[in-house]
Parts: sequence; structure tokens; C-alpha cells
Amino acid sequence: MLTRFTDTDTDIWPNVAAEYGYKLISMPYSVDGKTIYPFVDYDVYDYHSFYDSLRAGALPTTSALGEEEYYRYFEPEFAAGNDILYAHFSSAMTVSFDVMDKVVADLLHKYPERKFYSIDTKGITILSYLIVRELGDRLNSGMTAEEAVEWAKTEVDHYAQYFFADDLKFFRRSGRVSGLAATMGGLIGLRPVIHMSREGKMESIGTVKGRIQVMEKLVSYVEDMGDDIKNHRFIVGHTDAPELAQQMADMLHARFGDDLQIEFVCTNPTAGAHCGPNGVGVAFHSKRR
Amino acid sequence: MEKTIITGSDYVAMVRQGAARLNAKRKVINDLNVFPIPDGDTGDNMYMTIGSGCSNAKAGDLSLSSAGISKGMLLGARGNSGVILSRIFAGIAKGLEGMETADVSQFAAAMHSGVTEAYSAVSNPVEGTILTVIRESVEKAAGNDFEEYFKTLVTEMRASLDRTPELLDVLREARVVDSGGAGMLCIAEGMLDAIVSARKGIGIDVAEGQQIETAAAPSRYDLDDFGPESVLEFGYCTEFLLRLQTAKVGDTDAFDESVIRDWLNANGESVVCFRDGSIVKVHVHTMDPGSILTKAREWGEFLTLKIENMTLQHSEVTIQDNFSSGGDEFRTAPKPYGVVAVASGRGLVQSFKDAGVDEVIEGGQTMNPSAAAFIDAFDRVHAQTIFVFPNNSNIIMTARQAAGMYAESHRDCRIEVFETRNVGAGYVAAASLDFSCRDVDELVAATREQIGGVVAGQVSRAIRDSQVDGIDVKEGDWIGISGGRIVAAASDRSALALELAGKIGAGNHDVVLVFYGAGVQPAESAALARDLQSKFPRTEVIMTDGGQPVYEYIIVLC
Repeated sequence: MLTRFTDTDTDIWPNVAAEYGYKLISMPYSVDGKTIYPFVDYDVYDYHSFYDSLRAGALPTTSALGEEEYYRYFEPEFAAGNDILYAHFSSAMTVSFDVMDKVVADLLHKYPERKFYSIDTKGITILSYLIVRELGDRLNSGMTAEEAVEWAKTEVDHYAQYFFADDLKFFRRSGRVSGLAATMGGLIGLRPVIHMSREGKMESIGTVKGRIQVMEKLVSYVEDMGDDIKNHRFIVGHTDAPELAQQMADMLHARFGDDLQIEFVCTNPTAGAHCGPNGVGVAFHSKRR
Repeated sequence: MEKTIITGSDYVAMVRQGAARLNAKRKVINDLNVFPIPDGDTGDNMYMTIGSGCSNAKAGDLSLSSAGISKGMLLGARGNSGVILSRIFAGIAKGLEGMETADVSQFAAAMHSGVTEAYSAVSNPVEGTILTVIRESVEKAAGNDFEEYFKTLVTEMRASLDRTPELLDVLREARVVDSGGAGMLCIAEGMLDAIVSARKGIGIDVAEGQQIETAAAPSRYDLDDFGPESVLEFGYCTEFLLRLQTAKVGDTDAFDESVIRDWLNANGESVVCFRDGSIVKVHVHTMDPGSILTKAREWGEFLTLKIENMTLQHSEVTIQDNFSSGGDEFRTAPKPYGVVAVASGRGLVQSFKDAGVDEVIEGGQTMNPSAAAFIDAFDRVHAQTIFVFPNNSNIIMTARQAAGMYAESHRDCRIEVFETRNVGAGYVAAASLDFSCRDVDELVAATREQIGGVVAGQVSRAIRDSQVDGIDVKEGDWIGISGGRIVAAASDRSALALELAGKIGAGNHDVVLVFYGAGVQPAESAALARDLQSKFPRTEVIMTDGGQPVYEYIIVLC
């Protein structure tokens, strides 16, 4: 048997994960000294309350998983004779995966018959969500773990994500975006456009002033980089900004036609702790990263 | 006897009387405002500037006295008129340098030096202002004695002032004369009063009901400046109102207060003593205020009394001197960049701090900070390069003057004063500063470009009927101002703000920032935000509770 895993940093909710048989590894965040595990410490993600707390001044932190937690997720599967396929968020963005690699190496030593397939989506939030769903479709259609790994080697780079953040203090604090101008431009409507690089890192690739204008910039990236976007999922993500997300979708429909199938996703709290509220992004099938 | 020579104490008395005369008229001068809104403060600025000079007056020869006054005024300068005034007196001090006393021709030459210095302080001198008034009057003033000289000076000054509306359209349209020139006239009149009073031997005759305020801006005394080991170097500034008592002096009307003045002159310095009915007003610097007070009670009883340690006053006005003293050796290395900005209103001040400004000097249109306040801020920022956003056209000169003075003792510090004429330009520039850039020239150029692209407008309420810039304004109307002109007027505040935003081009900009003032309720600002967004759908609207006075809305396009 193959047990499929993904994690909550991919924006996937348990009901969607269940469609593909993914078990969820919960990536924690801490606020006011309390550590919270998404979909472990709560069943329903009240994203509005979470982002409102950020608007009110809360500055959550995130933390890597420890060895013990990885043992708890993986060892029962190996012990039961199951192999594991784990499609996860970018390993370049956390030390969690160093811990995981150590645990997996130890478990494979202990269970030499078992196999562990790792698929790095080189993304986070909606980009990972898109890849995890598209991968899930293929697994549900009979793709083997080995084929999935091969598919990922070429296809992961054919999904792209572009987004903007409203308040840079969250990113500045997390230090996870390179190339950010050291300004307080967010105060005057100046927003960086960020994408996920081929290395699975967030990079600022320019700034745009004005909300409409920055969304138009995202449309232009879809225009330039999109590849067969109507035959793939198209995701519009937001950090508790459903009206903006709808506006983004309207602009996309106006440009690419109403037959563009758009799915809305609200960014998970662990990633949201780095992005802050009122951001919007797009993830789509692309010519390249 | 006609006065043909002036001494240091004569000069101090003249300037002090000039300050008193200005004080009596400062409200009138404040109201000489081109725009019919309550934001004029030329009288306050000039008075605080000259008051700072009086507080720093040194007893001694003419050279020392005039230098002390000049130094105090340079540091205390507020607003453009205050800066120009301080430079006039700096020029006079230069002209009197090395002189124990001066005759009329020497003093007249020093006055010419004052004019030259004032013009040199302004990059683009505008005629029809205080500059014209001082220049024309000094060119024509003449006399064989000081009374004659100052009488012609005052006469020419008044005539020149009356001509200012002919030189400046905005004055003619607003039917006012130049406020800075009017302040200068008051000072000259006061100086003439001092000369006439001295000739008559009647003491200084201050306008009815006015009290000389020597310590114009005493609000920031640091009590630690005089510690347990301090030595009383400057004595006490002692001021009181003394009610003459019949039981002590007999008929108060017949009492000759020169008895008091003579005694004070023999026992103190910088004496000002004059009479208003049975009240004698006294100002004296003394090392022993107790003896002064004890003696004064031989003639009457105190109505008010104020004694201040002049070391504290001295510290306040000579703050720059302290920068180069021992404190620096304990400081850490300066950081690469620092930012100083001027703003008023709780929300605006916080916004500037959020934008990364290190030191926000509280001030603005009706509260111009002094050069000393800037110098103080520069020292606290402690950076290799300091960006300064004065955010008001009436504060830019003060900031430049402070930067120049600071640079004299901090050669390694580069101060860039940007000509931000409103808080919007300063805010946008501050928020855009990218301190990861290590090329200062590049950053300065980028900041100037950023400022150049900002358009701003303000909404305020008219306090009188007026016709300005071709627009009829009724008292109580809301008026929209941009680029130094009134561009709209209406009885509805929100409608006016919307109209103003349109007229200054909100539809052509990506972002409109609106700082709403202390008098605007959140519901009104929220409604305005909706209206703005609806009218300018491609422009992002960002509302901020600025809490600023005077301007109910500050609209910034960037």
C-alpha cells in the first residue's frame, strides 16, 4: 500500500485532501505564546478571525516540526507495511525537511523494505495546492509513486505563482523573500510582486503602485507565462480578501474568457503569518517558472 | 540729550523693546494671512525668534551683546520670517563685531550688513516681503543721532510695507500687507521707543497692558542642566509686577519709579523697569534675587513673580554648543541613515514613525519648530546621512539654517533637507526611502524624483469672507488649497474634498492618501473613501486618521 501525505502549508483542507487520500501533516504556528496545529487544534479554519488578529497587531511565528512528530506521522505507516509518498511545500523554505530527512533515513534503516517518495512542489500555499491537486488527480487515475516522482521532475517547474502582499512588515520580519526593497512602500500603496523561483524560494520581482495596477500586473504575468491554463486548474488565493480575489477573477475572466475555471483558496495561517492580510495571488500552469 | 553712541546695554534694551512691541501686535500680525483660514503665525514665529535672542543677550560691549542676541535668534528661528529676522540680526552682529560702542554711521553700516545677510539666506528672494521692507528702509534711513536715524527708518519701513501689495499679487488680492514686514516694523518701532525713552530718561514705554516676555520658549528646560555641582554662572532672570503701596511710598502718582530703576541698574543687569499706573514692571538679571525682592518690598508688594535660573535658559538656546562637548565620546558609531520629519497630529506623527522616520518634530503650519528643535533632533538621530522633511514651505528655511549650524560642528554628518512643502510629499518620500541603497547621491536623487511626483491638497475652513485666486469664499465655507492656491470652495466638507481630489488629478494617479483631521468623524471619512473609490475606480484610496489640526483633510496623490 502507498500512503499519500501532504501538509497544511499547501493550503489544502481535510475535505479536499480526503478526495485524494492525502493524510495531512500539520505545520504549526504560534501566537501569543500558544502553538497551534491547523486542523489538529481546530476542525474548521476560521481564516477571517486569524487575519483579523494580524490586522489588530498580532505577529505570529512559525516553527519547524521536531523529530518526534515525524516519527509519529511516518513510523506507523512503515510499521503497517505501507510505503509513503509525501508531496510537500518547498524544502528550501524551512529546516523541517532536514529534520524529516534524518527521521526518514532512520526509519528506512529500521524498515529496509519500505519506500519513501518525496515530491517537492517548490512552492507553498496556492502553488503547492495546485500541484498537489493535479498530482492527486493522476494518482487517483492510477499513476504509481515512481511515475509521480518522474512527473514531478519535469512538471513542478510548469506551475507558477505570482502574488502581492499588502503589508511588508510580515515578510520583512520573516526574512523569507529575497529582493524586497527596504522601504515602507506598503503605506503608500506600493506593493512588491513576488513569485516562486525554480529553487522554491520567494523572490520579489518588482513593485507596483496601486491595487488595481498590481492586479493588472498579475494578469500580465498570466498572459506572458500561462500555458494551456484552461485545461488545468487555475487558483486565485487570498489572505482574507475575498472581494479582491473576486475582482482578480473578474479581471482574469475579462482577459481570458469566462470559461477559465477559477478556484478560490484562502491562504493557510502558517504561511499567512509570513504574508499578512489583504494579499492576492494566482497559481497556474505555466511555460516555466 | 540726543543719543549719538549706543552701547551694548543700549542695544539689548532696544532689541528687548522691539520684542515687546512685536508681542503687543503679534495677534494682528498673525491675522495678516493670505488665506482666510486660522493658520497664520508670522507674529508668533518672529516673536519667539527675537525672544530667543533676548534670552541669550549677554551683558558687555556692543559686539558681545549683539553676538549673543544673534546666536539666540539663529537657534530660536521659526518660520521663514523668523529665519530671515534672525539673519538680519546676525548681519547686524557681524557689522558690529569688535565694537565696544557704535555711532550712527557705524550702526547704519551694520544695518546694511543685516540686509545683505538676510538676502543671502534666501535662494530666490521675493520682493514684497520682509526683505523688501528692511532693504528699502535701511537704504533710506539717515540721521545725525539714533533717534533721527530710527525715525526715518520707521517712516520708510511703514511706506515700504504699504507698498508690499503692489509687489505681490496674493497680498493685493487678499487685501493685506506682508506679515513679516509688519513684524519688522513693530521691532523697529520698539527700538525707536527705547531710544526715545532713554533720551527722556523715562524708561521704556511698553504698550499698555503688555508685559515683556523674555523667555519666549521656555518649555523644554532640562532641569538636569543645573546639577548639585553646578556653579551659578548666569544668575537669575527675575521678573515681577510690583504694586506701589501708599503706606510705603506715599502718593503713588507722585512717586518717581526711576528710584527703582537706578537701584536695579546699580545691583543688576539687563534692567527693564517701567510703570503702568501704580504697577511697576521689572525685569532684571541678578546673582542674588533675594536682595532684589527684599529691596522691592520697600516700595510695594508683588502681584506676580517669576525667577528662572539662566543656566537652564542658556542651555536651551545654546544647545548646539553642547553637541561638541564631552557627551559625544560615549556615543555609539552613527548609523548610516537617519530621517527627521515635521508633523502635527497624533495620527500623522505615528504615520511618519511607521514610515521609518526616526525623529518626528511636532509642528506644522501653525506651530513652526525652531532651528534648535531641528538641531536637537539631528543629534538624537546620530546618523552619517540625515534626510530631513520639513513638510511646510514655512519650515524649509529653518531646517536649512539648522542643518548649516549643525554641520559646523559635525563635519562628517551629511544633512539633506528636502523641499517638502506639505506632509504628503514628506510622507511619500519617507515611505519610499530604500536604505539598502548605499549610494547616498542616488538615494537623494530618487527621493527628489519621488517628491516631484506628489500632488497634495488641503481642506480647511474659512474664518472670514474673502476673494482669493478668483474664488469667492464666505466665512464658514470649506476651502480646498493646493500648490499655494485656493482651487475650490463649498459649504459641504466631504463634497469639497471630493471636488478637490478631482481638481488636483486623483483620476490620473495610482494612489490617493487621505489624512483626515481631528474634526472628522470616522463615519464621514469612510463615506468619503467610498465616494472617492467610486469616482476614481482605478485609484487606490488609503484613509488614515491623521488627527491633524487646521486641515480637516489632507489629500495626497502619488
